[in-house]
Amino acid sequence: MNYKPGICTFCGTGCGHLLDVREGEVCGVYPLQNHPVSKGRLCVRGWNIHELLRTNEKIRTPLIRKNGTLMETTYDKAVGVLVDNLSKHAMADAGEIGFLASPRSSNEENFLLMKLARAVFKTNNISLDSDPGHRRSLDVLHRSTGMAGMSGSLEEISKAGFILIAGIDITKQNPIIGSEIHKAGRAGARIVTIDTRNTQIARLSGRFLQVRPGSYKIVMAYMAKVLLDEFLTDPDFIKKHTSGYDGFAAVIRTLGEADVAEKTGVPADDLREVARELARAGTAMAFFSSGISGFDQDTISYIYNLFLMSGKIGREGSGVNPITGINNLQGSYDMGIAPDLLTGFQPISDAAAVDKFSREWGVTLPAAPGRSIYELLSGGGKPRAMVVVEHDESIITNVNEIRDMDFVAYIGSFKNNFMDYAHVVLPIATYVEADGTYTNTGRRVQLSKKKLEPPKGVKPGWRLYSMIAERAGAKWGYGSPAEVMEEIARLTPAYEGISHRRLEGTYGIKWPCNKENPEGTARFNLEGSSKKIPFAPVDSSFRVPQSSDEYPILLLIGEAQHYWHQNNLMKKTNIPLREYNATLLLYPQGYVAVSPENAREIGVRDRSPVKIVSPYGSMEAMVQVTDKVAKNTAYVAYFVHDMITKFFLEHRDVLKRGEDATIPVRIMRV
Amino acid sequence: MYIIKKGQVSRIAKELQKDYRMYGPVLEPETQQVMFTRVDDAADIDLGLPLPANPVKSAVFPHFERIMSYVYDRQDGKVDIKPDFDDAPKALFGIRPCDLTGILCLDRFFLGQEFVDEVYRNHRKNIFIVSQTCTEPFAQCFCVCTDSGPGAREGYDLNLTDLGGEYLVEAGSEKGKRLAEKLSLPKSDDSHMREKEKRIDRAVSLFGSIAKENKAWISRVVNRVTTGLIDEKVWEYIGSQCLECGACTYVCPTCSCFNIAEQGTGEDAADRMRTWDSCAYEGYSRMAGGHNPRKPVEDRRNKRFFCKLSYSQSKKYLRPGCVGCGRCAWVCPGDIGLPNVVTYIRREIQK
Repeated sequence: MNYKPGICTFCGTGCGHLLDVREGEVCGVYPLQNHPVSKGRLCVRGWNIHELLRTNEKIRTPLIRKNGTLMETTYDKAVGVLVDNLSKHAMADAGEIGFLASPRSSNEENFLLMKLARAVFKTNNISLDSDPGHRRSLDVLHRSTGMAGMSGSLEEISKAGFILIAGIDITKQNPIIGSEIHKAGRAGARIVTIDTRNTQIARLSGRFLQVRPGSYKIVMAYMAKVLLDEFLTDPDFIKKHTSGYDGFAAVIRTLGEADVAEKTGVPADDLREVARELARAGTAMAFFSSGISGFDQDTISYIYNLFLMSGKIGREGSGVNPITGINNLQGSYDMGIAPDLLTGFQPISDAAAVDKFSREWGVTLPAAPGRSIYELLSGGGKPRAMVVVEHDESIITNVNEIRDMDFVAYIGSFKNNFMDYAHVVLPIATYVEADGTYTNTGRRVQLSKKKLEPPKGVKPGWRLYSMIAERAGAKWGYGSPAEVMEEIARLTPAYEGISHRRLEGTYGIKWPCNKENPEGTARFNLEGSSKKIPFAPVDSSFRVPQSSDEYPILLLIGEAQHYWHQNNLMKKTNIPLREYNATLLLYPQGYVAVSPENAREIGVRDRSPVKIVSPYGSMEAMVQVTDKVAKNTAYVAYFVHDMITKFFLEHRDVLKRGEDATIPVRIMRV
Repeated sequence: MYIIKKGQVSRIAKELQKDYRMYGPVLEPETQQVMFTRVDDAADIDLGLPLPANPVKSAVFPHFERIMSYVYDRQDGKVDIKPDFDDAPKALFGIRPCDLTGILCLDRFFLGQEFVDEVYRNHRKNIFIVSQTCTEPFAQCFCVCTDSGPGAREGYDLNLTDLGGEYLVEAGSEKGKRLAEKLSLPKSDDSHMREKEKRIDRAVSLFGSIAKENKAWISRVVNRVTTGLIDEKVWEYIGSQCLECGACTYVCPTCSCFNIAEQGTGEDAADRMRTWDSCAYEGYSRMAGGHNPRKPVEDRRNKRFFCKLSYSQSKKYLRPGCVGCGRCAWVCPGDIGLPNVVTYIRREIQK
């Protein structure tokens, strides 16, 4: 049988597919009908994944830089140079080295990279590529539910009576989850979208509220206040299952109602009605973007509390669901790819956890939390050497600092322009060329089996990391990725019951999988339990970004929607590249989307060049005139090289606000 | 016409395997999904399986294939071009009438017009088709609305009909007849043909109780689709639900659009790859210079159903472009498979 079951590795949905593998090559793909998440569907990316897997743009041999040029070498030599350089700097100061891991790597690969950083090179400077926005969602959910992951279930979308979609273009970002929501809507669920932009799911929703940029938090807080004022909370649930409600109620009582409509840009009555619908629904789910662009932690906390006070957490068909944009973003956090976390969200500050790892690994682990590479690069430290794995974006920030480093190693399957800055390049097998597990946005750990041999001589990631560790003097001795998972299970309570043997022939297991939940956990559950969970702490500042006469337009930065435009994997395909680059072809210098009213005021038409001026800098782009943005808001796609490497670096603090990030600007004709 | 005992039917496949690369419906063991694909051993083919998830077209029109490779010699300024056609003899065993009809549509598109597609012609020229009558419909079937089942009428070399303990074997070509004679199959008589007719009638009668998922009264919409006299709002409604994944075209037995891309294999060498393409994609209809005559998604959806249901297109295929297999309804994330589209157009007509 030439069709081999596997998992799509583009986004965090984790759809099932069958790959057509013949004579050592991938010749096509087909959706898996019985897969519990995707149920026989794939999106434009998934349907064309063979183009990526058949690309010739793979790294085929280890490379080492000599006199400025990358030259072919052996694994042995390249690994030697890598270990010498990292050891040299680690010996001087473990703060001088850092690891930039990939949210595309398998759990086993990321676990070993994490172990390599901590146990072998004694640094906690390990972080994820592609902006760790998911962390904010995990912090909120973990603090309250104890589960650092989606509290609801993708498989229960059809059981939700009310679905709130906030700030996520879900039919583009995670199309199959978008499909599931759309189908639930067709079957009678109430779908409400709250977004600054008029997205496809907004048009498919029963109600769409186009809010002003930066006002998501007030929207959520106001709806909470409506529940409070109109006695629409679930008092029995609050009493039985929650703590800290009074504190939260006290904060939302401070929200002044008079200017809610002005601040949010939607009539207060509309928000009232949505709040009532949420309260009256038997079950409800919230979906928002997590990862490339997510909300700030306070907004997430408000969403969470809103659902908690209405009793929409902990039961079938309900839950708060952050959606990851990249295939193993959830799994990467599960594997402790963060400066302050070990696996399964066990903090470095937890001495017992550190002790457990130290004993298992037979080493003393560095005690203080590390810093992320980007923190270090932007002036927080002096990184001298780093290891980068499968950089996902084809645009690199902080190039000057990276160029100044003493040593950069690049590890990956696909060619990437990060190689231009690397002193050593080490190829690893792609996900179809080695066994590995991937954890989707719904906590589903799925096993992807090896389907074909890697290009001649290319090692799988787990073998390469073992080789590096052993060269540095450690004794690892893993025989297979399955053995790595055994170690993960020993060290990680949520993965305790997971093994390759158990995953084989299944569509995955949703963690936590342990003695209490041997078959895994469909959702965070409170039914039949006496457990009490706390409301998330929130602050009471309800400011919204203000425009001024000088800078009258609020500029939104669309990261998630355009994430795939400059994605390294997408660039290795033909059809998905063509589809995602359509906008780039029309607007080669990037575009800023403005409303027809603003376009008239500025005196421009579609594709006219404009200058965008903020208090900190300016850039030029073309204008796209569209009714998808409201008047006095503008939207800029986050996929153009100059914007990212120059203009936005000046606005780094603003960008930290993720989906809510806005910059007041003036747009002028040039 | 001939008869073969039920337990003996694999003899036909085994005989074909001597001269042909075998394709048929097989069960993927881990996921229990039925796929129509190449098999190393004809014994893996199971005629009793439901309609394969994928269309049979991938055997003659693969999802992704190399059709040519070339090397440029800089010194001589010469290009060495090697066409890479797959003309291996292939036997498609146990295909359903809807999929067979799909291949006939592809034949007319790729071979039956002024331009003949060499890649397809090579795939197609040494094909042996063994079709089988559907004696019971499946849940998603609506071939009775599209005149492509439950029995096959043309295009096969051999056609099998399960008559209970035995199969009726009908030869549709000289090639088929020769094979039946070679296997010394006993001749059938009129009673067998009458039994086949009875079983087809019974299959049709079962659509009401079994084939419940889809209905598509296509004859009612052909006129409107042809003239284009459909309220734009209907297309906007359909377009608004399209996620632009391309699945409907990829699974459609009659969809024939493809893309060509060059894949570099060295400094001065490349492979020319051909891959399925879809009118659902915006880039598909974009022209050089950036103009796109079908930029809004509803215009692209409109185009697809013109291909499937218009009279103008039917003249090329000599039948409607839909064969009633129901796969587009399976795979569509927007729930706008062809049966639903027909329903929406009909609703507008009623108004």
